[in-house]
Amino acid sequence: MVPLSAYVAVSAVLFTTGVIGVLIRRNFIIVLMAVEIMLNAANLNLVAFSHYLDSMAGQIVALFVIAIAGGEAAVGLAIIIVVFRGKISTNVDEMNLLKW
Amino acid sequence: MTFTLTLSGADLLLLLPEMLLTVWLCVVLTMDFAMPRLPKDRLAYLSVAGLAGVLANLVWFDLAGIGGTLFAHMFVVDRLAVFFKIFIVGTTILVILASVDYVRRFRFFKGEYYFLVLMSALGMMFMASANDLLSVFITLEFSTFGFYVLVAYLRDDVASNEAGLKFFILGVFAAGLLAYGISLVYGETGKLVFSDIASPSATPGLVIGFLLIFAALGFKIGAVPFHSWIPDTYHGAPTPVTAFLSIAPKGAAFAILIRMFFVSLAAFKPAWVLLLVGASILSMTYGNIVAIAQRNIKRLLAYSGIAQIGNILIGLAAGTKMGGDAILFYLLTYLFANLGAFAIVIAVGNLIRSDEIEDYNGLNRRSPFLAFAMLVFLLSLAGVPPLAGFIGKLYIFLAAIDEGLYTLIAVGLINIVISMYYYLVVVKKMYINEPTDPSPLTISPPMKVVVYAGLAGTLFLGIYPQPAINWVVAATLMFSNLAGPAAAAPTLVLPIGG
Repeated sequence: MVPLSAYVAVSAVLFTTGVIGVLIRRNFIIVLMAVEIMLNAANLNLVAFSHYLDSMAGQIVALFVIAIAGGEAAVGLAIIIVVFRGKISTNVDEMNLLKW
Repeated sequence: MTFTLTLSGADLLLLLPEMLLTVWLCVVLTMDFAMPRLPKDRLAYLSVAGLAGVLANLVWFDLAGIGGTLFAHMFVVDRLAVFFKIFIVGTTILVILASVDYVRRFRFFKGEYYFLVLMSALGMMFMASANDLLSVFITLEFSTFGFYVLVAYLRDDVASNEAGLKFFILGVFAAGLLAYGISLVYGETGKLVFSDIASPSATPGLVIGFLLIFAALGFKIGAVPFHSWIPDTYHGAPTPVTAFLSIAPKGAAFAILIRMFFVSLAAFKPAWVLLLVGASILSMTYGNIVAIAQRNIKRLLAYSGIAQIGNILIGLAAGTKMGGDAILFYLLTYLFANLGAFAIVIAVGNLIRSDEIEDYNGLNRRSPFLAFAMLVFLLSLAGVPPLAGFIGKLYIFLAAIDEGLYTLIAVGLINIVISMYYYLVVVKKMYINEPTDPSPLTISPPMKVVVYAGLAGTLFLGIYPQPAINWVVAATLMFSNLAGPAAAAPTLVLPIGG
């Protein structure tokens, strides 16, 4: 049987990957993917804990997180398309109109 | 394993305000596409009528003391939740009235705008009732999705698109932090409801989990160091959306923060006080100092908003029932003053198509009413007696004095002086500088209603605060066990007015 610590370790690695991806990648699509990895790290944790604690709540939360991640991707891609029409770019560094 | 869900009529009653609003926003959306010739202003008044019904329902809940929990304690109705719902619905009504003129500028989707505003308001009403970590996550995302679209609503405006994208990226990043934090807290305790996750020992998973959840809520309220989206988003978004975004989600997020810190984490108070003191000092100082350099009134109000959030965090740092009262009262004063100031910005922006502070030169010559109202709102934000902001700041500081947070109060007082400077610069431009274009400005009736409501609230809360104080004290009665050592007097009787 796989110990709980293995799941938590993988999840931590996934989460860190996601955070680093958001912070250093310059393309919005990749940033969005990195956020999805963060959410999936949370899902892995929730399902693993749910199994080891013998409580259903974690799996229910994971289902909601998946649904909300889908909604996020839909809204996010819509906004990216609008921005792309105006700017012909998906690069974070070119979003520099608003600053003081 | 089977799940049973039993709901009685009395249980459904607790959901009545939300159900009313859900039905109403469906009506508004249906009317929008079923009657394409209907002037879109009518939809605004229709939305306001529905919200007024919800407000009446909530006032009845508050007076009758109706309360309880639903769905295995996920959803709670108590006086705290009802207070925040009234706060949110009231804000939404004023924002919709302030939007009427602005929405005429949109080329597309004028009706959907009102639908999205109502949708976000519904999400925030659920936030005020969120009582476990799952409902925190769902409701927070629910309300934010509407805002993502609203911020990027001006499709042809590159600034609005950029603001929407920045808000979106940081918003979903915060959602990722929140989800991971929830998973860690769940792993340590096996529970989700706020009162069940009050663990006696601080294990590493619990500490990291709560820090991540706090970071996500910090993004929502825009406390330093999680503020980076605030100035750009406020600047680029349509101004009524900025006004909405600067008030209602802050209130809803504070409802969650109060429940989390006062219920789940009451045992670890010495640890989190330092965290909140740090966030408060950073927010106040950073917001006020950077506000001085601003040339755009929306950015100025954005940074002033960060500083105001710092002030509210003082009440949270106090961690007593009185601190909770002070947060609620401060939010009320912030609602009237900040919404009023944004209403002026919307009105002036509609007329002269500019948000630069330079263009407020000689506003008094062009419209004495707008200039006077702006003066009142800015002075209230700065905390000048006898306006609402003064009582709000006094209340917050008194709560902090009871807990001996003297450093925090000293920093807060210094910050009032700094904030006075940039608010008065705007006042000077309005009253002393000469206008470049002296043509008079006139404002529309719905806008007048908003400005008068802001003025009435700001003056009433400042001159006769006692009814509002009684209300907020009653709303936080469930935290009576958190009374600090010196908080013997349950109510604050103020020397003036009361």
